[in-house]
Amino acid sequence: MPALTVRNLSKNYGSLVALDGLDLTVEAGQVFGLLGPNGSGKTTLLAVLLDVLHPSGGSFTWFEGREGENVRKRIGALLETPNFYPYLNADQNLSIVASIKRVSSPVPDALLELVQLKERRRSPYKTYSLGMKQRLALAACLVGDPDVLILDEPTNGLDPEGMVEVRHIIQKIAAQGKTIILASHMLDEVEKICSHVAIIKKGRLLAVGAVGSILSDQPTVEAGAVDIEKLFQLLSSAALVKKITRSGNYLILELESGRNPGELNRLAFEHGIILDHLILKRQSLEVEFLEITRQ
Amino acid sequence: MNPLHLLKLEWKRYWPNGTFRMIGALYASSFALVLFLARAAGRNMTFTSNGVTSHPLAGLFVYPQNWELLACIGSWMNVFLLGSLGVFMITMEFSNRTLRQSVIFGMTRLEVAVSKLVWSVALALAATGLYILLVFGWEVLDGWGLGLPLAGSVASFFLQALGYLFLGTLAGLFIRQTAPAVLAYLAYVFILETVCRWVFYFYVAKTRLLLFLPNQVLWALTPLPVPESVNHLVHSNAFIKPLSPAEADLTALVYLGMFAMLFCRRIVKSDL
Repeated sequence: MPALTVRNLSKNYGSLVALDGLDLTVEAGQVFGLLGPNGSGKTTLLAVLLDVLHPSGGSFTWFEGREGENVRKRIGALLETPNFYPYLNADQNLSIVASIKRVSSPVPDALLELVQLKERRRSPYKTYSLGMKQRLALAACLVGDPDVLILDEPTNGLDPEGMVEVRHIIQKIAAQGKTIILASHMLDEVEKICSHVAIIKKGRLLAVGAVGSILSDQPTVEAGAVDIEKLFQLLSSAALVKKITRSGNYLILELESGRNPGELNRLAFEHGIILDHLILKRQSLEVEFLEITRQ
Repeated sequence: MNPLHLLKLEWKRYWPNGTFRMIGALYASSFALVLFLARAAGRNMTFTSNGVTSHPLAGLFVYPQNWELLACIGSWMNVFLLGSLGVFMITMEFSNRTLRQSVIFGMTRLEVAVSKLVWSVALALAATGLYILLVFGWEVLDGWGLGLPLAGSVASFFLQALGYLFLGTLAGLFIRQTAPAVLAYLAYVFILETVCRWVFYFYVAKTRLLLFLPNQVLWALTPLPVPESVNHLVHSNAFIKPLSPAEADLTALVYLGMFAMLFCRRIVKSDL
């Protein structure tokens, strides 16, 4: 069952087009990544879906429109930065969220344990570090056990340790089978967490599908030799190489469908070139993303 | 949409806030202080004529005029403090980005708007309750015995308190930043409307309709309780006949409805 269906959605700010006829379907249970460079329209899309912004055209429905007006009480969302009352502590802020979602307060200990804020639950929000604020926002998303989570750049501004913490929390939530829509410009993050991905740029949908289907089947090979120039000349005209680029002292090679690095090694050896570096790399989302957004 | 639920929600948001408590305390304490000063002035301002010592405004300090006098004193607290509180309630939400966050957490836009209006009604009721308690206190302290509240004064005080709260929330909603919004609110209440009224009066038309401008109506809800002779003198020489209490009450009700609708419409229609 689709958790979200978006049809021809657009949003304009005067002459600036933030969303341009976007079509998208997110099935229940998917961990759906929204990828795009800064300013591509990810946050605008989520803001429209959460009723913070009004769309200029098109439509969207949550749960096929079966939940009526209260549908957003079944959605937990973190949009841009965490926003809470600075003079209230974690318990008080989450109690407000619980009241909005019409669930019983006080907030369960397990929730604060999950986001590692149990020790600081009575401290005012304004005394929290950025990581703690982000974790409180995640806890707020989970109040009322929502069916869908919308997370917009959830690791933004965090130090590496904080990023890992938040990522682990998201992975734990995803393991519970919840639908997650995760917007990020951090490809590594999306690749690690998401099952499906949509790539948008300038408000337009460029690609959508399972992460595996977005990635090319063919691996990337990194090769090096003492005479790198001779290797480059050989492989530039070789039939098994689809694309060749230089990267420092190595060549990055995209092989033709059905070819493998062994054939590459043999070809080089037959032409008197001994490879001193040969690494098979899985095609990364980053390469695909750059390829798609360059179009 | 359960108004009681929305009221509880707003209580959780605002009651722990330091600025909110400070403005509330200032309202209560300055209201009581002005009353105390008025009592003191009432005792000391006496004159002797034909061997009889009396107070020139003696009639104001006894029941039932004391209800009107205190409403008049309270109107200054309403215009300054309740109006500013109305501004702060909204701009605080914008500066913390918690208004949009409430929508993100699942409130409908209409629920957000109605919760602010319900909270404003509760605050206006609290202010009216304080007004009633202060008059009772005054009556007891001065040993008059408890005089029943004047229904008209109490209703008008409530309408005025709510009116200035609504005006403040509207200024906060349209301007979104506390200092500019408070300045705009005070400028409108004390300068802009009066200037517009006089310009229109002298250069366009000498019409009584000018008394039906929002602040004129809210201010007319608690007129200074002057002795009947003075009142007659003022009325007979006025450029325009002042609003009667009934006119002021009814027009204030219409304005309150308009303010509430404008407030809801703005929140429902605009990007947050």
